[in-house]
Amino acid sequence: MTEFVQNLIDGLGNGSTYALLAVGVSMLFGVMHLVNFAHGELLTIGAYVIYGMRSNDISWWATIPVAILSAVMLSVLIELVAFRRVRTASAFTLLLTSFAIEILSHAAWRIGVSSTPRRFEAPNIAFKVVEVGPFNIEIWDVVSIAVAVACFVATAVMLRTTMFGLSIRAASEDFDAARLMGVKANRVISGAFAFAGLLAGIAGAIWLVRRGQADPRMGAEPLLKAVIAAIIGGLGSLPGAVVGGLSLGIAEVYFRSWLPSDLQGLTDSFVFVVIAILFVVRPQGLFNVASAERV
Amino acid sequence: MTSPGTGSGTDVAAGPDAGRARASGASRSQLRSVALPSLLANWALLGVLFAFGALYATGGSSARDLLISDLLINLVLVIGFHIFIGNTGVLSFGHLGIASVAAYTMALLAVPSDRKLVLIPKAPWGIPEIELSPLVASLIGVGVGVVVAVLLGLVAARTSGLAATMITLAFLAIVRQVAENRKDLTGGAQNLSSVPRLEGWSWPVFGALLAITIAVFFRSSKIGRLAVATREDELAAGAMGIEVFTPRLIAFVVGGGVVALGGILRVQSLGSIGPSQFSFEFTILILAMLVVGGMRTVTGAIIGTVFITVGKEITRFLGDGPDFLGFTWPKVDGLPDLFLAGSLLAVLLTRPTGLLGEFDLGRWISTRVRTSASAPAVVAGPDDHAPVVPVPRAPQATRDELVTNGLGVVFGGFTAVDNVSITVAPGRIHGLIGPNGAGKTTFVNLLTGQVEPTAGSVHIGDRLLSGAPYKRARDGVARTFQNLRVFPSLSVRENVAVADLIAHDHRSHRTGVSVDELLTLSGLSHMADRVASTLDYGNQRRLEIARAAALRPDFLLLDEPTSGMSSSESLEMVDHVRRVATAIGAGVLVIDHDLGFITNICEHITVLDQGTVLAEGTAEEVQRDQRVIDAYLGSGHA
Repeated sequence: MTEFVQNLIDGLGNGSTYALLAVGVSMLFGVMHLVNFAHGELLTIGAYVIYGMRSNDISWWATIPVAILSAVMLSVLIELVAFRRVRTASAFTLLLTSFAIEILSHAAWRIGVSSTPRRFEAPNIAFKVVEVGPFNIEIWDVVSIAVAVACFVATAVMLRTTMFGLSIRAASEDFDAARLMGVKANRVISGAFAFAGLLAGIAGAIWLVRRGQADPRMGAEPLLKAVIAAIIGGLGSLPGAVVGGLSLGIAEVYFRSWLPSDLQGLTDSFVFVVIAILFVVRPQGLFNVASAERV
Repeated sequence: MTSPGTGSGTDVAAGPDAGRARASGASRSQLRSVALPSLLANWALLGVLFAFGALYATGGSSARDLLISDLLINLVLVIGFHIFIGNTGVLSFGHLGIASVAAYTMALLAVPSDRKLVLIPKAPWGIPEIELSPLVASLIGVGVGVVVAVLLGLVAARTSGLAATMITLAFLAIVRQVAENRKDLTGGAQNLSSVPRLEGWSWPVFGALLAITIAVFFRSSKIGRLAVATREDELAAGAMGIEVFTPRLIAFVVGGGVVALGGILRVQSLGSIGPSQFSFEFTILILAMLVVGGMRTVTGAIIGTVFITVGKEITRFLGDGPDFLGFTWPKVDGLPDLFLAGSLLAVLLTRPTGLLGEFDLGRWISTRVRTSASAPAVVAGPDDHAPVVPVPRAPQATRDELVTNGLGVVFGGFTAVDNVSITVAPGRIHGLIGPNGAGKTTFVNLLTGQVEPTAGSVHIGDRLLSGAPYKRARDGVARTFQNLRVFPSLSVRENVAVADLIAHDHRSHRTGVSVDELLTLSGLSHMADRVASTLDYGNQRRLEIARAAALRPDFLLLDEPTSGMSSSESLEMVDHVRRVATAIGAGVLVIDHDLGFITNICEHITVLDQGTVLAEGTAEEVQRDQRVIDAYLGSGHA
């Protein structure tokens, strides 16, 4: 029982990062049917900003907001320079464009900084453990979960009460109809990228404080997890993305503690096979977005 | 324009056998006329580029030799990707997973036994004892690759575009993870060395030539052409009787086989194999080569491969910090990747179809030769002579009626079409009219299967029409679309010819009109080689009707054929629809909201309003009906 709860806390800690990224991925899929593999690069820029500021001894309190802001700005910039030009193109072109941006970013950091990782020291709080009864609770897990929950609540409120939220929801239902109703395409898509960037920036900050390292390809793996989470939850569905991210985080921890060691390396493969089966059995159910073409 | 075997005669009444013989002769000769020049031209292109490469290699180190064989092997992989992605428009990341499995198979069978007893002594199935010749092992490897491609293809081709992409991406990751973790079999992350090496360039050259040949013949084969139609417009392809799954699966497997060959050549060129050899990064490299050059043609694949290879070679040279042009360049890591991603992104943003787009060297040459040879004949004039072509009524027009029994559909709580029963007489033109939102298009969608009805049934005679749109199309209903759905990047002729292919297989009991005759009838013969999307609106409409007619349907369903046309154009369209219907002996159901157009063209009219039949009868009867007047002009009118 103790181990079960312990794993749950660990899993929620990891899962909340995935979920924050997944909500962004899912939102972008909702408004423009894009699975944005460049989204992970927002973590990378955050990491290099932290590295740059921390190696100049700037306080964490100043560093983290700047890191988050850099993610927002890069997200908006990527939309402006690249995705805006292929907005009406096929899913094929959109997807490949996002991969091209990802590789471009990897190469840019290698050329601009270095292929070798750059390290920065984690603050004390990152690994502090408190004993509560029988549990060892990492303070940072609690912070992660609390920040993530706050973000989800804020997102939900934003979607329900603001004009921007209404536009996003309308655009996810039916983009053309939303435009007819006066939703400005550029503004809503730009806004969605900014918002997704904000969530990615926050997810990055939580993750990076403990990671203590910046390297060119670091964004790829968490993004892959986020895409998987978004797919599990149904691309385009934001609550689905939260559920998908948290369950993926928890599943990983349990797999790690239960799977025999010679099968542990195949954890991802198990997840992939399950997803492939899901895709075949319920292709529409996974894509929560109406895909019926008008005849 | 006049390829051998296709006369422009008017012997439509010559009987079914004549019609069939002519149709098959035409498609076969057309196949030859496209495939052969394309094959020779692309071989020649590769030959010229290879000569340059060989020249470059003789002046340098052995690294240059390796570069040339790398280029050739990458070309095999790129062409394998082209066969699936270029012809179906579905993005696959999984093909290098197939290559990886094939390459491992080959390596495990061909690595000398004494090496395997050291590297992987615990491998199952007695693998350490096996030692086959590289050629036999390669053939088995390709075979295993094809089997894997079939299994993966069965899953991937069944799902829609994006899901297929994600599944193939997952497959690539799974293959890599399994290779890393089954250490007893693969040696894990440590490379399995001592794979027999290829000597010289002969095998890579052979592989590239073979890949080009397979790709060219696949593109001009029936399955290839059907796959391309589904790429162009899945919905329209279904309405033309084309099933999506089979062509997609076969394209996946043929591409998989070629990629398997490429993977096997690659490990033999490197002399070792490891899990990271067929990585995601390598997949992106191959995809970049394909997309930059132009994924839709073999010429594009060749140019893209050479462009990226040369570009990476130059940027690698610059990144190494050479003494060049009088000063020492700084050493820059990652420059080739920057070039790769930059050129891929630039092409995607500015020319999504690649540098060459639809350009194929062989096709281009043969079109040039054909048009210059027949140039004087074409000047003869556009369409004014079209009506002169006497088109006798086809002898065995269907005698069955098209009947809907209480057809209806409910979307959520909204009844779009309710209990509509109509009968379209054979060989007649029947009008279906109603104000906007009356449910006309939904009714057509119910008839042709794009929307599944919640009530009622559709028959032609005693045949029940049911199931997917492609089945119903093969059963005798061909349609056009309100919002124009020609196959945009195919030529005018190919648009019609693809439907003719289906007719040949599934409608052969009906005499058809040949592709050339249909083009003449539609006034399109002088623009037969033009790309369909470059046609003006009216011609695209006529092309869509010609394509539907080529299916030899019992009934043609035309959804607002005059939408967006001026009244004089509409009048021309009236004549045109009559001519086509007479030529193929089909009944016609025309949907429109223009009362004038419908009463001009139709012998019998059904009026639809709010999803139900409001009135029925001849043009005069319907025009006098008070309810119709009310529905059209508002109930305030007398």
